[in-house]
Amino acid sequence: MAAPALVSGPAAGNPATVVRARGFGKRYRGRNAVEGLDLEIHAGELFGLIGPDGAGKSSLIKSIAGVLRFEAGSLEVFGVPLLSDDACERIKDRIGFMPQGLGQNLYPELTVEENIDFFARLRLVPHSALAQRKAELLAITRLAPFTGRAMKHLSGGMKQKLGLVCTLIHEPRLVILDEPTTGVDPVSRRDFWLILGRLLRERNISALVSTAYMDEASSFHRVGLMFGGRLLAAGQPGEIRALAQGALVSVEAGAEVGQQAAALAQLRARFAQVDALGSAIRVFVDQGDDIQAADMVRQALPALPPQAVAAVEPELEDIFVALLRQRGLARPAQDRTSPPPARRQDADAPAIEAHELTRDFGAFRAADRVSFNVRGGQVFGLLGANGAGKSTVIKMLTGILQPSAGSGRVAGADMRSAGFAIKERIGYMSQAFSLYLDLTVEENVRLYGGIYGLDRAAIRSRLQWISEVAELKGYERERAARLPMGLRQRLALGCALVHQPRVLFLDEPTSGVDPIGRRAFWDMLFHLSRFDGVAILVTTHYMSEAEHCDRLALMYAGRVVAEDSPSGMKNALERDCGMLLEINAPEPQAALLALQRNGFAAAALFGNRIRIQSRQAEADSARLPELLRQAGQPGVTVVRRAPSMEDVFVQRVTALEAAELNARKTAR
Amino acid sequence: MNITRINAVAYKEWREIVRDRLFFTLAFVVPAALTLLFGYGLSLDVEHIPLAIIDYDHSALSREYAHRFSDSRYFDLKGYAASEREAGALLTAGTVRAVLLIPEHFGQRLQSGRAAEVQTLIDGTFPFRAQTAKGYVTAINAAFSLGVLADYLAQARGLSPADAQRALQTLRVEVRYLYNQSVKSVWSIAPKLLMAIMMMSPPFLTALGIVREKESGSIFNIYASTVSRGEFLIGKLLPYLAISSLNVLVLWALACFLFGAPFKGDPLFFFAAAVLYVGCTTGIGLLVSAAVRTQVAAMMGTMILTVVPAVLYSGILIPIPSLSAAASVIAHLLPGMYFADIVTGSFLKGVGLAELWPQVLALATYAAALYVAGYLLFRKRTAS
Amino acid sequence: MKEPFSGQDWRLWLRRVGAMTRKELLQLLRDPVLLFVILYGFTADVYNAGSGVTLQLQHAAFAVHDLDRSAASRELAGRLLPPEFKPIGAITDARQGERLLDSGQALMVLSIPPQFGRDLAAGAPTAVQVQIDATNTALGFLAYSYTTQIFGQYAIEAGLRNQGLSPTALDSLARVDNRQRVWFNPNQDDGWFMSISELLNVITAFAILLPAAFMVREKERGTIEQLLVSPLTPFQVMAPKVLAMTLVIHIGILICLFGILEPVFHVPIKGSLTLFALVTTLYVVNLSGLGLFIATVTRNLAQAAMMGILVLAPMMFLSGIWTPPEAMPIVARALMYISPLYYYMNASYGILLKGAGLRTIAPSILGILLLGGAVCGFGLWRFRRQFD
Repeated sequence: MAAPALVSGPAAGNPATVVRARGFGKRYRGRNAVEGLDLEIHAGELFGLIGPDGAGKSSLIKSIAGVLRFEAGSLEVFGVPLLSDDACERIKDRIGFMPQGLGQNLYPELTVEENIDFFARLRLVPHSALAQRKAELLAITRLAPFTGRAMKHLSGGMKQKLGLVCTLIHEPRLVILDEPTTGVDPVSRRDFWLILGRLLRERNISALVSTAYMDEASSFHRVGLMFGGRLLAAGQPGEIRALAQGALVSVEAGAEVGQQAAALAQLRARFAQVDALGSAIRVFVDQGDDIQAADMVRQALPALPPQAVAAVEPELEDIFVALLRQRGLARPAQDRTSPPPARRQDADAPAIEAHELTRDFGAFRAADRVSFNVRGGQVFGLLGANGAGKSTVIKMLTGILQPSAGSGRVAGADMRSAGFAIKERIGYMSQAFSLYLDLTVEENVRLYGGIYGLDRAAIRSRLQWISEVAELKGYERERAARLPMGLRQRLALGCALVHQPRVLFLDEPTSGVDPIGRRAFWDMLFHLSRFDGVAILVTTHYMSEAEHCDRLALMYAGRVVAEDSPSGMKNALERDCGMLLEINAPEPQAALLALQRNGFAAAALFGNRIRIQSRQAEADSARLPELLRQAGQPGVTVVRRAPSMEDVFVQRVTALEAAELNARKTAR
Repeated sequence: MNITRINAVAYKEWREIVRDRLFFTLAFVVPAALTLLFGYGLSLDVEHIPLAIIDYDHSALSREYAHRFSDSRYFDLKGYAASEREAGALLTAGTVRAVLLIPEHFGQRLQSGRAAEVQTLIDGTFPFRAQTAKGYVTAINAAFSLGVLADYLAQARGLSPADAQRALQTLRVEVRYLYNQSVKSVWSIAPKLLMAIMMMSPPFLTALGIVREKESGSIFNIYASTVSRGEFLIGKLLPYLAISSLNVLVLWALACFLFGAPFKGDPLFFFAAAVLYVGCTTGIGLLVSAAVRTQVAAMMGTMILTVVPAVLYSGILIPIPSLSAAASVIAHLLPGMYFADIVTGSFLKGVGLAELWPQVLALATYAAALYVAGYLLFRKRTAS
Repeated sequence: MKEPFSGQDWRLWLRRVGAMTRKELLQLLRDPVLLFVILYGFTADVYNAGSGVTLQLQHAAFAVHDLDRSAASRELAGRLLPPEFKPIGAITDARQGERLLDSGQALMVLSIPPQFGRDLAAGAPTAVQVQIDATNTALGFLAYSYTTQIFGQYAIEAGLRNQGLSPTALDSLARVDNRQRVWFNPNQDDGWFMSISELLNVITAFAILLPAAFMVREKERGTIEQLLVSPLTPFQVMAPKVLAMTLVIHIGILICLFGILEPVFHVPIKGSLTLFALVTTLYVVNLSGLGLFIATVTRNLAQAAMMGILVLAPMMFLSGIWTPPEAMPIVARALMYISPLYYYMNASYGILLKGAGLRTIAPSILGILLLGGAVCGFGLWRFRRQFD
């Protein structure tokens, strides 16, 4: 059904092949998880497998690591064909494997050091070498101060780094990491990629890493895109971007809610891939270059001023969705042609008012005087690293947790005195989706209908509405466990909406959902907020999702440290820290060193590209190629990149961490 | 086989067990607590059976007859009932478990040299207790009857009462209770408790320990490393074997010193056999863990496989010869029965390897079969 | 919660509890492992317990060391008859007897002295020795009891013969004939006792473990969060779990009574089933408090099951099923009187085997109410506290 996979040939200078798959296939109970997959990974390469949940990444990765049997095709690792259990044993001394699940391969009761020692002894690392390696790895990962701490008391990011140390302690030639960054906040994630990249370079190790985050693609040398058990394409990130025909166009349809909705409907009639993103609309135009694409969009929206429409650089996620669509693997987003009658009687009235909300757990202050307001019809995003206090705030507002101080009103009721009144008026969806997986779609809806006291007739009509809006038609009698993640997520949202709440709380609602499912989900949220006037408070680790929000609050150590619109936050970042410049050099390693020697100490490598921040963007863009040429690095190009929400997040949080560290030092 | 790797796995497992309070409690406190509880609480002696008496006769002889019952330690007189109806209600309510009914003319008939009939109503709800009660009644009645008969004979034949008694009692039955002279049930139970508890606890610990690693995903460290199947299984099981062997010592000490059960056998032989037995039951846990994926399934599996048989079929509450044919087959398939022989042999009989080698051989075969099966079922590459 | 209940509120309340109960039952139906365990408990487990075991002295093996070899000695040994006894042959020396006892091949060795027959005929005192393996106290006692009874009878007959009286004259002589009648289980069929006791144990286990499992499962899967933010009160979350468990147990009891107890073991169900159902409902609802307590202190199903076993094992052993409270040491007896199962056991045997009515079992019901109420109240209190 799919077009033949496009696999780029081995890059020059990388002749040795570490992994070779030919016609690889894996079957579970008669269902193909992976089929007909060809792949090569070269020595010294950081190869990324990207794809949604259930694409077959884990099956492939486990088979290569020699821990999963497979049915079809051949696999060769270090030239050893993996034909039997015994053959697999022959490669395991050169392999380091980290299975999926944050810290799942570690032992929670053991300390950091005991964990490392266990892996070292299991791998027969000699005593003499162990001390030195351990010291080095602990220093790089900055885990040295915590060697005596039990693993279960580490933060998510630290667990992940400890997992990496344990995987590398026997100096494998190939490390295999299965979704190492899932569930980790952006700062820790970026830190992880930098450390991994450095270790691979210094030790000349090859790596095979899978991820569900499309935006991490730029960290890899080469990327394989997987979908539905097949490898759609493999190549350098740049090559992958070029695979999908067309260009991405951004439209600012106007501040009025009606304007944006009208533009959305008009665009959906003409183009296949149209999504609302906060106050903007993104259109993927399948033909033409940037200029032609922008013109086509302008023609579709003659009422708009021309400057409201501009071509923008597509994210890999846009490319991925376009690629799937162009190859007929995914349905385009449907237009909800009949928006429900506007119900915006009190749309602009404040729906959530948090005033100086504080919560202490013993001596620890989880939330510190948190204040913000969310109006009806607004999508409000709460961002922050693991443990920043987001969940505490949501728990207080939903009435699960009593605040230690402060006050708040939710859906017009005081949260201290009218707990039950609030509970009847809000919807809540957690990252676990809170569905009863052993019940069917219909039974889940009926259950929540009953819990909220709806009568039979009301439940029937809501069931109708949910299966329509969440596109669950035909799945009513299917058990929730058998639904794909995307559908499951929309069902959970449907259940949270069964009693037509005026305020909706979403706690990391999209973990584990693939990009296409995520788009459909956000489309639903867009309609809820714009047409039904529902106020939505959402937390997420996916910074690309933060872009969907009307307003954002960034939390750090229990406090709200910034509150603005996404574009406001990006502008503030450029104002405070300068522009983001991306440098493409033929020899990125050497170029990086040259830059660092020439006053750009903060320059960092992302995959094959170097990034720096510059306060004189114009001047630097002009002078950098020359500077590098003099340093022996000709042929360099420099482009200005708009900062992403992730850049904002990482920059802000890193600065706050540094400030805190300084404050502690001076206090001493 | 590489000692360092076995060591690494064993040491890691040990640290984990020690740090997990719930697990640690389960491993040491529960067996000892269960022994204490059952050792003190599980007395199978049937004494102080609550008794009601209906005496329609009200003669000196009927009172004497009744006293024979109420004065024995086997019966506790709860009171006299006026009618059978009343006594029946007491029996139904469970207030008394036996009723002695002495009819009218009881004394008169005996004095006139005729046989008198009395009735005992026994609550059969608990058949074993009813059996025992019947035995007591028969014995007390026989003693009384003999006295009456002797009196009558003395009168009729002009013998002295003592001679008459002797004439009827020429046969003495000398009973020697072997191995357990005072027939204290705690003696016979404490050693078997050791067997039963060591049947339940090691499989639980082992199955949960291995399946926990499967469930959390850390088993992939093992799959993906160079450690061999044998090394992993040995390293993984060693701590559990050690804990269980230590428990054997603890329970042994409890049985000997707290319950005062005599230990007559060879300690060395006994502990060697106990380690072999613990190896067997640990192996059951290994087998269960190979077959299931979740901790809950592991719990249920070991429960059905070990707890129920440990209680019912291992001879602790019910002697093996009393089992039905099917149950007896099941009993022979489990290691508990063989070790029960070794325990009672070592504790009460003082016999050793010379007598018990068939049991030891059975345990060894059992252990070998379990470990080979566990080894074959454990694969470093999974199918899914 | 404070507002007064109007009719509308009642309907709302019923809708909520109804939806939740339906959910619990649906979830149970979709859990094959749990369903299997429940079915196993109410059928195979009860069957095993009832059929596998008999506590009567059957085929007790004995060897005879006969130094007399007279007609009298042969008759004496011949009085030990099946089904209680089973002769395994004659032995020639004492050592051999010891070996048979050591190895467990014989339960009893009977030694008859030389000149036994002559002494008996002459009315001279003589003694036979019986060695009994008492490692199993219960069996040893029964063997002793039967043997002395049989030999005593034999001795009296011999004595009478010496006095010139025929043994058949015994009936017309002065003696007490104690006719024993065993009520409620005339043949002392162990199957009746064992199967009912196992049924009670199974009911107890599920009454504690099922609500705990339902609750912990919500915790483990994170669905409890969703219930916490919903307008359900703690009681509305808990009550459906108890309701579902009660329903399941009643169905299990019906299956067990009419699928196993009656057809297989021919247990006469004498009393009122309605009364039994009522007492059972009272018992399991009260006991579920213990399960909910377990759910509040554990984090996953495995832990809950472990805790459950820790609670269940003493409860079952101290229920009076195995051990009569009268014969227990004072501490254990006190513990028995605080085990709700003790009262439930008395009430159940009363209803099922004895046909007892409400009046007769009232004290047991009171015991269940008082103890169970305390347990249930404690569980509810812990459960509510967890919500805050």
